[in-house]
Formats: sequence, C-alpha cells, structure tokens
Amino acid sequence: MLLRASSQAAGEEVDLSAAVEDAADGGVEDGAVLTAFAEAVVRATDDLDKARARALETLGPAKFVEAAATVGIFNGLVRVADSTGIPSDAMMLERTADVRGELGFNRWAGAKSSGVAEAPA
Amino acid sequence: MSFEDNRFPVPVREDMTTALRKSWADIGRPGTWWTGPERVAIAALARAERIQRKEPPWNRDRGEPGTPLPEKAIEAARKIGADPTHLDRDWAEATIAELGDAPYVELASVVVTTVAADAFCEAMGIEHETLPEPEVGEPTRERPDNMGDIGAWVPVQVIDWQRANVARALSLVPEGVRTFFRMVAAMYSGTASDFNEMVWDHRPMARPQVELLAARVSALNQCFY
Repeated sequence: MLLRASSQAAGEEVDLSAAVEDAADGGVEDGAVLTAFAEAVVRATDDLDKARARALETLGPAKFVEAAATVGIFNGLVRVADSTGIPSDAMMLERTADVRGELGFNRWAGAKSSGVAEAPA
Repeated sequence: MSFEDNRFPVPVREDMTTALRKSWADIGRPGTWWTGPERVAIAALARAERIQRKEPPWNRDRGEPGTPLPEKAIEAARKIGADPTHLDRDWAEATIAELGDAPYVELASVVVTTVAADAFCEAMGIEHETLPEPEVGEPTRERPDNMGDIGAWVPVQVIDWQRANVARALSLVPEGVRTFFRMVAAMYSGTASDFNEMVWDHRPMARPQVELLAARVSALNQCFY
C-alpha cells in the first residue's frame, strides 16, 4: 500500500485504518480534512459544500486542487480495476498481507480477482 | 473549449487542464469499436446514473435511454458508472459475450474518463462539463497484438510489462489507455520516475496526503486493487 510506503519514506507512522474509517486523519497532516472531503464527494453527501470549503481553507488553493484531482482520478481508477477484474500486483499483495484481513479488504468483491477473497462478514 | 480556466474557483495547473481538455475531446471522437455518437451516449448514461448514486439502482429515474446502443452496453455504462462495487466476473462475462471484449473495454474507458472528470468537477464545486459534440467517422476496429490472459476478465498486454497491472487493464484498446492515463499522469502519478519516488516534491501535497485520499476513495468504492 503506497500510503504506508510513502509515510515510512517520510519518517512518519501512519494508521492505515484511516482508509476505512470516517473522517480519520491516520497521522497524516490535515488527514481528517482530506478524508472528510473524499467521503463527501464519493457519497455525494449534503455537507459536500462544507467539506469543500474546509478543505480549501485548510489546504490553500494549490493543495486543494491536488486533493480534488486525486479524488477525481481515483473515482476513475477504481472503476478501471473493478470493470476489468485486473488482479492486484504480486508485490502489493505480499506487502499488504498483514493488514488486508484486519481492515476487511479481503471480504470485498474485487478480492476474488486476486485470489484472496474471504467470505463477506 | 472545455474546462476553461474561468470556470474554476481557484487556479488549476495548466498541464491538468490540458489533459482534461484533450481527454474530454477524445470522448466525442470515433473510437476503436464505437462511433463518436455512441461514445458520447455511453458517457451520458454513466453520468446520469452516477448522479443518482445515493439511490439504490432500482429506485433511480432513468426514463428512456434515447440511444440505439445495445441493451448490454446501456447496462454496462450505468453499472460501471454508478455501482462499481456490484461488478463481478459472471456479469462481465455475460456482458462481454454480447458486446465483445474490446468494445467492452472501450466502453469502460469512456465511463472511467467521464466519471473521473465529473468527480473532479464535484470536488472543485463546479458544474459538470458539457459533454463533447460527437464527431463523424468510423471506428478503426484495430485489435492490438501481444494480448494475453493474466487472470483479468479481459485480455491485457503481456509482453515486456514492468508496471502496475492497473496500467494495462485497458490495453486491449490503446486509445482508451491514452485518453484515461493522460489524466492519471496529470492528476496523480506524474511521470514514471515521479511515481516511483515515495517522497514527492513536484506536487504541492506530500505523497502520504495524496495516498491517504487515494486509499480512502478506493475503500469507499470497496476497490480491492
């Protein structure tokens, strides 16, 4: 998982549960603002305007655009993977073996494409 | 021109708007297997369905699709656009059996390009971009060589591949790869050497911030990859 690898490279300890919990910061700078923004866009929640304004105010214009771009493009990237059933990369499976089960990733439908599916909870 | 600078509430990097404009125009052009009008119809179906993503599929207001696209193409555009967590191999195989593998991949490439651009607009707080005017012309119907089975639902490039699998997921339609991954480079990964660096200094945000967003969006979509 590139979140963990990039945090380690920066000398930071990241809490990976932030990927699956609402408005969690994961130990990343402005993390809670970022995750709340992503959640509001993906879920099209009523507080999207508020989450966007908070992101712009906290991050400033340049970082805000990067955040918006990342949220946008990953909404496309997840569909590339899930519409083609592309298997995960072997190195990524190896590096995430310790957290996939704990965070529930192996129960998602796409886990079948990588041969590591567990029964849904 | 699409994605005009004056539409954004704050300045957007030129390389990003350039990529968005080029990829958006691509949607309206004749593709490899679908015509320009068919590609724009696919984008419109995906957008209309995704706008209603808070509603369960059976409760959405669809009306008449208003397109001569095959029924399976209409279903695929809607499902990939709005319900990526509901995709599975059985459904994909049934869809591909009717549409063909390469037309299915091209359809997916149009949908993911549309969804990424629409989600960016929503994040920026602006209206969705008007869909491009479809251009006249025939699809090229060119199928690339060196495709093979790596366990995906569709054939992918298998010769000399050193990058992440997701980057070859659409390789059965090279034009679709160029259209979507031009945006990926501008909006996320940068160059190949940028991507391989775990510490980024070429973007305003630190890489862990970018990857936290990526991880959260992936998790919200229950994307295992």
